[in-house]
Amino acid sequence: MDIISAHDLAVGYGQEKVLRDMSFGIPEGRITVVLGVSGSGKSTLLKTLAGLLPPLGGGFDFAGCPVDYRSEASLDNLYGRIGVLYQGGALLNGLTLFENVALPIRMHYPEMPEGMVRDMVQAGLAQVEMADAAAKYPSELSGGMRKRGALARALALDPDLVFCDEPSSGLDPITSSLLDDLLLKLKGTFGMTLVVVTHELRSIERVADRVLVLNDGRLHFAGEAAGLAASDDTFIRTFFLKEGQP
Amino acid sequence: MSEIPSAPRPTETIVLPKRFRAPEIAALLDEIRKRTGGEPVTLDFRQVEDFDIATLAFLRRLMSGLPGAVPANVPEGLARAEAGFVQHLQGPGLEKPSVPSTGTRSGRFFRSVADQFLVRIRTLGRFLAMLGDEVYHLGVYLRKRRGVYPGETWNQMYFMGYQSFPIVCLLLFLVGVTISITSAKQLQLFGADIYLADLVGYAMLRELVPLMTGVILAGKVGAAVTAELASMSVLEEVDALKTMGLVPEKFLMVPRLLAITLVVPLLVAMADVAGIFGGMIVARIDFGMTFSAFITEMVTTVDWADFAWGLVKTVVFGWAVVVGAGFKGLTVGRSAEEVGRATTESVVLSVTLIIVIDCIFAFVIY
Repeated sequence: MDIISAHDLAVGYGQEKVLRDMSFGIPEGRITVVLGVSGSGKSTLLKTLAGLLPPLGGGFDFAGCPVDYRSEASLDNLYGRIGVLYQGGALLNGLTLFENVALPIRMHYPEMPEGMVRDMVQAGLAQVEMADAAAKYPSELSGGMRKRGALARALALDPDLVFCDEPSSGLDPITSSLLDDLLLKLKGTFGMTLVVVTHELRSIERVADRVLVLNDGRLHFAGEAAGLAASDDTFIRTFFLKEGQP
Repeated sequence: MSEIPSAPRPTETIVLPKRFRAPEIAALLDEIRKRTGGEPVTLDFRQVEDFDIATLAFLRRLMSGLPGAVPANVPEGLARAEAGFVQHLQGPGLEKPSVPSTGTRSGRFFRSVADQFLVRIRTLGRFLAMLGDEVYHLGVYLRKRRGVYPGETWNQMYFMGYQSFPIVCLLLFLVGVTISITSAKQLQLFGADIYLADLVGYAMLRELVPLMTGVILAGKVGAAVTAELASMSVLEEVDALKTMGLVPEKFLMVPRLLAITLVVPLLVAMADVAGIFGGMIVARIDFGMTFSAFITEMVTTVDWADFAWGLVKTVVFGWAVVVGAGFKGLTVGRSAEEVGRATTESVVLSVTLIIVIDCIFAFVIY
């Protein structure tokens, strides 16, 4: 079953459509990778699906309910069921890592005892192997640690779907691979649905179950990752197999 | 009878070196300016093998008629590269789309003024909408005590109040001294020295303390709030708050509004004391007026209502500063340079709002 199904979706800024006429589904319990060259609209699509940027045409359903950008209740429902790992982590600089991860829990469940919040945060940080850094501020963390901490925050409210915007960008191959392992663990252990925006071939090969390929302002390909290698599409071959010039 | 002017003939040839890149071009241009005195010079490219994009740009300028020099013997490879360079320049997206100009010059001027006016009106509408939202969020928070990070109001009070206290008091003390010195000279002419106390007290409580405190808050607090919120917007922290189901306009702004509301009365009280004390020192030195005589005279003119009006005004100024700063910080674009611009605009907006509001208060109070 698809947790997100988009129909004739157009996204962009102002009146300028970056992507148009997109119809696709995001299946539950799997990792869908959105890929395309820089500037193809990957992050713009993610922002729309995460409820941050209203669509310029068409729409999408989340868990069977249409997402209405004009309705606060509809957006609140969406926000309550997703987590987002931003490109730079987007941890609040004035709070420690512990406080960052505790923030969504404290805000949504203010009546929850502090001891319980502490346990939840420690468990979340241990899951991303960051328990030792709980007392540090984001400025004291490396790029990879910030992203892992941000992933712990994105998972704090046990979301149905996690969006990851270029999780490997700016990271060395080893740290990037550790982050990929984490994503695979989330899918394998918790059956979590993930949408990963990236153009890192190594990550795509490791984590992708399904792929959405964006090119030239449209959805170029939507299907199983396994089928990509055998694709005879020029753009996909160029992208994956580095044949010819883009 | 006038003669038909003939085209100037090249009088000198410079054979360009094998390596002819940006530094050599700069040196050559300098040399041409010095040696030819305006006479065209022929630039012989036959030896040029090592060139860069500056060479291509230079050759293009020569071919399209750069005054003072003409190219000669351009090697085929260089000419081909130059042709490709020109093609790139004409490629899509490099040329700015030309906007067809319609109507007369005065028509375009008035349309531009009207467009600017509409932009300002829309901005004002958004600002007022945000102000309304903030009042609503504050009301909801005071009723339900949810949606704001615990302890953040204290942090903001520390920054806005405790850290602003020294600069506010120092500046208002100096303002008190200045107003007292300048007024003393005039009052002495009429033998009205004693009224210095009334003048300083009245001016400080009613006008100078609120206005100066507002302006200092705009520069210190407003700029900091805008820079912080704008940075958070650029670094996607505001988006992160939204996707956590929080309302950034509430989460970020309510603690700041509460803090400014709570610290301004203390700041005003301290600033009143500092300003009046500055006046008292001048009165003591210039006129030998004792502190008790100064206060006794001052309280015959000023009363609690003056203090209260000053207080109310400063709280309103504080709100204008924080809402203006929040408006600029949360509506910033996505680039780092916009953080600086938003910060500057925030200070200008806050000071403008303070003066406009002060003017409205003047009509209401007097």
